[in-house]
Amino acid sequence: MSRLSLKNGAPKEISDEDQCPVCKSSRYLNRNMRFLVNPECYHKMCESCVDRLFSSGPRVCPVAGCNRTLRRQRFRPQTFEDIQIEREVDVRKRVAKVFNRREDEFDSLLDYNNYLNEVEDLTFNLIHKIDVDATEKKLKAYEEANKAAIRENEVLASQETQSLQAQEAAEKEHARLRREAALREAEEERRERAEGRLDVINQLARGEGNADEIARQGRRTLLKKSTARRVGTGDEMDTSDSAGTGLQFKGLRRRARPEPEKPFEPFGEVTVEHEYFVLKGHYAWDFLDTARTSQTYRAGGYDISEYCSRALTDAFAGLAVFVGEEQTAT
Amino acid sequence: MAVSPLPGTMPSAGANGSLKPRPLTMLTSNPAGSNSLVANTQSSNINTDISEQLNEEERRRYVKGKKLGEGTYAIVYHGHHRDNPSKLVAIKKIKVNAEFRDGLSFDAIREVKYLQELSHPNIIALHSVFSSKNQNLNLVLEYLPLGDLEGVIRDTKSVHYGLADIKAWMNMLARAVWFCHESFVLHRDIKPNNLLIAADGEVKLADFGLSRSFSDPYLNMTYNVITRWYRPPELFFKARHYSGVVDVWSMGCVFAELILRTPYLPGGSDMDQVTLICKALGTPTEQIWPGVEMLDGYKAYAAISSEAVNPPPPKQQLQGLFGTIGGQGIDLLLSMLALDPNKRATSKQVLQHEWWLTNPRPSKKEALPKKGGGLEKVGEDLKRRGGEIGDGDGRGEQVARKLNFG
Repeated sequence: MSRLSLKNGAPKEISDEDQCPVCKSSRYLNRNMRFLVNPECYHKMCESCVDRLFSSGPRVCPVAGCNRTLRRQRFRPQTFEDIQIEREVDVRKRVAKVFNRREDEFDSLLDYNNYLNEVEDLTFNLIHKIDVDATEKKLKAYEEANKAAIRENEVLASQETQSLQAQEAAEKEHARLRREAALREAEEERRERAEGRLDVINQLARGEGNADEIARQGRRTLLKKSTARRVGTGDEMDTSDSAGTGLQFKGLRRRARPEPEKPFEPFGEVTVEHEYFVLKGHYAWDFLDTARTSQTYRAGGYDISEYCSRALTDAFAGLAVFVGEEQTAT
Repeated sequence: MAVSPLPGTMPSAGANGSLKPRPLTMLTSNPAGSNSLVANTQSSNINTDISEQLNEEERRRYVKGKKLGEGTYAIVYHGHHRDNPSKLVAIKKIKVNAEFRDGLSFDAIREVKYLQELSHPNIIALHSVFSSKNQNLNLVLEYLPLGDLEGVIRDTKSVHYGLADIKAWMNMLARAVWFCHESFVLHRDIKPNNLLIAADGEVKLADFGLSRSFSDPYLNMTYNVITRWYRPPELFFKARHYSGVVDVWSMGCVFAELILRTPYLPGGSDMDQVTLICKALGTPTEQIWPGVEMLDGYKAYAAISSEAVNPPPPKQQLQGLFGTIGGQGIDLLLSMLALDPNKRATSKQVLQHEWWLTNPRPSKKEALPKKGGGLEKVGEDLKRRGGEIGDGDGRGEQVARKLNFG
């Protein structure tokens, strides 16, 4: 230790931070030590302890006096340094998952505030361990009673985050395109200026006309080109800006709920009705008897009722159909 | 009650109850279509001038665009309405075939006859019929640009679909078949490449070249219909009197193919096909299919006479193959693939099955996976003749088709 501290300059105390409370191994011995907590009791311990103790199944927490049974699956790294805050955040997350009503579900703001107050009371009780059993029971009961509503709001919330993400991505893409366009334009302008200059020099080299006149003319054409460009791009910018502000609203909430889907209709809402007759199971008619009793007809799957239905339909098909009407209809 | 389901009788079968035979109105308002049709086969009648005039009028309503594809039986063109170029159509020009020198091919007649009666969201719409120069018959059909279901099934690389999608497709097919049967039409050629996909994802039953109406009791029907892989056992046994459930068997095969993404019973020959059916679903015996031994073709199959009798497949085996559709789904599939046509579910019973109502709910048609078909595909889909399997990688080259109009 002494040599190490000499090398590193100021000596470092072995603090609580760097020692596992269970196996007492320190960061000095294990550089990659990570601490995990279990939301059951929030006693922290190092990763190797978790592996060692809980890999063969659930066990009692190794911290003296803590009699809770822990499972390996629920161990996770700590987010906040203060274990109390870690726990509070967990509790709040859990409660918010169940009580996810939205403001637009309430008639008035007062109702919504009352609801929020109620929820906060429950949360407070859970955090500070006041009437835990009763509060838990309330939570459970509410969850049971409002399953459908909770799910619906969950879906809504996830949709909102998704659309928000999509919007952000679209904005980023837009910005990228704008940047690229600006770059391209700058490049173009640079190139044109160089060309213009070359042009002027060439003219001067050829020695045709007045030098001053040539230079002035060259400057003028350059200026003309660049202003023309500025005007063009300015217009473009305007339209894109108005499209951006006029059509997209950030955080816009959709009030109208989609109608619940109708149950699926296998027949596709197409009906075929026989208006003029009811098909009977049996018709006493000698003509049909051979077909009805024949073994080969039966084995082939021939269905006399299909024939009867067709024959009856044919017989009545012309009723209530008037040629004159049909023609005027078309 | 006339015993006359001959192809020439009045096509009134579809005009029952709330069913309104829409295309009929279009065609009756324009007698030219039917007259010129007759004019092809018979000597011209007195109204030739008027009918030609009306036909010309009808023809002028559409603009024929570029050729999409050509088959042995028809040429398919892209087209649109003259007064509204955004309304697209496909125009199928029937070739005057060498087989039928003095008339039209049966396929064309059947297609016109039955399509004009059927108006349903899941059946391809026939907008109009007219004849062009050389008295070629032109069918103006709905434009379905997204290929067919076979393309979707076979594109395992880029198309992925789930149970909800299978349910949606099967439901659209079942609706179409049910509607055909309610209108007394047997389709007789149901298979994935006759199920075309519209721009909005809706699946539509097409190719009515082999269809006919339900038969009267003492008229024989041909057993030589339906593409082999989708043909039910009673047709292999040469049953001459059968009913709508032949289409239900094909539907069952399509259902299984949707799940497996490969044809369920791909027999190389008729004999092979029966052997496959026996292996997959059990050998038909007198116990499970009373009267089957009376059918003409039954004894001819070696699979039945020589080989050991296969029992119906155990639940576990089917569970392994089709487990993804759940218990009720398997129940529905088995009811569609029952060997005995009397035990097979009718198309109505299929739609009444509770599987449709179980979770997951069928996908919305807009959400169904698609595969860009393109114009060539439209041509491919429509130029085929009934009973043919789409060409491509030689999948059905040896599947010959012979129609016996006995």
